[in-house]
Amino acid sequence: MLRAVKKSYGPVTVLDIPELELKRGQITCVVGEILIAGRPLQPGRADHAKSLGVSMVAQEFPLVGRLSVAENLLLGRHTRATANAGALRRALFDRAGTRQEARDLLADVGVDGVDVDRPVEQLPVPLRQMIEIAKAWGNKPLVLILDEPTSSLGPVEAEKVLDLARRHTAAGGAVLFIGHRLDEVRDIADRVVVLRSGRLVADLSPEEASEERMIREMVGSELARGDIAPPASVEARTVLKASGLTAEGLGPVDLELRAGEIVGVAGLMGSGRSRLLHTIMGAQPRTGGEVELGGRPFHPRHPADAVAAGIGLVPEDRKEQSLLLQHPVRWNATLATLRRDSWRGVLTPGGDRERSAKIVKDLGVRLHSQEQPIGSLSGGNQQKVVFGRWLHARPDLLLLDEPTRGVDVGAKAEIYQLIDTAAQNGLAVLAASSELEELLWICHRIVVMAHGRIVADLRREQFSKERIMTAAAGTQPLTASTEAPA
Amino acid sequence: MTTQTAPAREGAGAPARNRLRALVDTPEVGVVVACAAVFLALALARDTFASAVNLQGMGFDLAQYGLIAIGESLVILTGGIDLSVGALLGTSVILMSWFNVNAGLPAGVAILLTLAIAGLVGLIHGLAVTRLKMPPFVVTLVTYTVAQGVTLAITSGTSIVGISPFFGNVGQTYLAQIPVPLLLFVVVAVVVWFFLERTYAGRQVYAVGGNPEAARLAGIRGDRRIVSMYVTSSLLSAFAGMLVLGRMGVGSASGVGVGWELSAIAAAVIGGVSLTGGQGRILGIVAGTVLLELINNGLTTLQINSDYTNIVLGGVLGLAITADRLRARHVAKRS
Repeated sequence: MLRAVKKSYGPVTVLDIPELELKRGQITCVVGEILIAGRPLQPGRADHAKSLGVSMVAQEFPLVGRLSVAENLLLGRHTRATANAGALRRALFDRAGTRQEARDLLADVGVDGVDVDRPVEQLPVPLRQMIEIAKAWGNKPLVLILDEPTSSLGPVEAEKVLDLARRHTAAGGAVLFIGHRLDEVRDIADRVVVLRSGRLVADLSPEEASEERMIREMVGSELARGDIAPPASVEARTVLKASGLTAEGLGPVDLELRAGEIVGVAGLMGSGRSRLLHTIMGAQPRTGGEVELGGRPFHPRHPADAVAAGIGLVPEDRKEQSLLLQHPVRWNATLATLRRDSWRGVLTPGGDRERSAKIVKDLGVRLHSQEQPIGSLSGGNQQKVVFGRWLHARPDLLLLDEPTRGVDVGAKAEIYQLIDTAAQNGLAVLAASSELEELLWICHRIVVMAHGRIVADLRREQFSKERIMTAAAGTQPLTASTEAPA
Repeated sequence: MTTQTAPAREGAGAPARNRLRALVDTPEVGVVVACAAVFLALALARDTFASAVNLQGMGFDLAQYGLIAIGESLVILTGGIDLSVGALLGTSVILMSWFNVNAGLPAGVAILLTLAIAGLVGLIHGLAVTRLKMPPFVVTLVTYTVAQGVTLAITSGTSIVGISPFFGNVGQTYLAQIPVPLLLFVVVAVVVWFFLERTYAGRQVYAVGGNPEAARLAGIRGDRRIVSMYVTSSLLSAFAGMLVLGRMGVGSASGVGVGWELSAIAAAVIGGVSLTGGQGRILGIVAGTVLLELINNGLTTLQINSDYTNIVLGGVLGLAITADRLRARHVAKRS
């Protein structure tokens, strides 16, 4: 039996849990709002925690980008061959042993087909997450802490991670699982701890922890998921029309979006969801096909062209692709509207301070001051600022890539509401997500991608998880896709 | 009466405390205070330090170092570095005097030609960094080397004499006791302040330096900002070169510009400009330059062997970055 004591840090109490017992052979899930982005469960010293048998997978990936997969996996420890060898052997790097153990480890967690010599920075985000998990697993910990381990994974990989957690507890270890996907939590939890504003508000057994109950405890009010549905009507006006669109690892794709329509993009990791959005945005070069925006040919060469034409993009990775972390909330909020709000290139208070204040107010961003660095806000509030940035730019088409990744459930509901309202005002939304549930809730239509192509196009009345998963896992199309090696 | 004023005083006290806190949170506050402290200490130690002649001398120095420090900082803000500012300044001095004396061109034409050449160099820097994705360090190191070579090749180590009096009129005169170069530096500083704080292009410079990918996906053409900052840096080098030439009265390459890029970088860093890009303000950059100049001049005034100057300057740089680190950590802990 283990006992973990949590503490608060900073002047704001972020986390106030007197103590939390973790039992061997039990998966404890933590859900709910964590006020500050980042690691709520930071052991005082990482090496100390490790020596006690605690291993952690963080929400963001602390991997060394330039080092190879194998070197990352065995970072901070010795190979079996050198662990008990003499001082000289220990000082030398055991390349062969490292590679071999890395391969074993990857096979153990169920990742195959990865070249262990490749630098980690060249790998796609989901694969990096799997490697991070393998790294924690390799430390053979007693307590395995998983902080939203599946947030960047597709369903198949997510299942592998959940399996790992089950295996760990079956072998007598303890798992602390910080989750935002309630279906997963329900799936694996032996016990669910709910946090709201950093305080423990409920400690539930698996039987008690229905999704409705968890949401209610987290939000602190009744918010049944039945409330979430897309707007009833869609306008007839076509906003986006892509025919035969191709890019590296994408297509050909045919897609049509009408004003006020919310279309989801589902698919496994690497199926080309992000690539589709980035190609429409002009962030990745188009290699062929036609795109029409509002009935006119549209071929952006830079995202600036797309923004000028009325497209906005909420990217997948908030820290890397959305935010100026060290800069004020105000700067982040007005980044996309600054030019059109300024007078002959000169910033006006209306374009900067007032605009930002309005965004903060409209979106209900919780903060002390718009001058505080956006990095000090919680993930949900950061994401709301990014949404506000684009909603105030008044686009015709909004591209969303994992719109609620790393966002707590309360803020999720608010973000769904925002998307809904925007669509009612005639905005067309294309939302890519690895969370099927969320697409099922908010979309009029879901297109399923596999190998860079759209393999299914489902209307709301045709929605079913099984249908989508079958399509997503579907066999390779007859013609080889561009990303597959010949 | 007292019951009425008490809440009023409390109301006035809270914003004052907030203002104090905001002041402590301002990254530039340390270096500005350091400037004032060093100035006071030196003025008390030696009467001659605060004399008009010495202050005017510092004004001339400040202008030439400050201009390249501003150019350097603009490049650093985009996430780059410009090692060529000093060498290019030296080359500009020689080019201007060569055009003016050896080619017999009027001073104005010589200046414009030199500015054009410097602008072209900056353009090449910018394009190499943005289009060819070459590391800024290497690109500007090439110019650093070539520019020094060009200077030597033109002069063969001699000075070019007989330049137009126009240079002296700009570089040696005073307006109401204030050196004209210092006034020009202040004008440039104000213009750059306005650009960075009050224009959307300036904000985009910070965005590109802070997170290039986020800026790109938000529809900002970062490459344009980066190129224009390299061009501005090179232009400011040539402009500073014009002032140096006027001050010296002859086109000489010895001791001009060599190593100045390092003091420009030091001034930027002392002033709170982050070498990773995206952070820093004009107030800090100017204060950083002033502090370096005060120390430099102060050591001379105190008649300390000039061989020790670099040790002190290096120590100050070390102190400044340590203090900034500690302050940033303190702020991060609080928020």
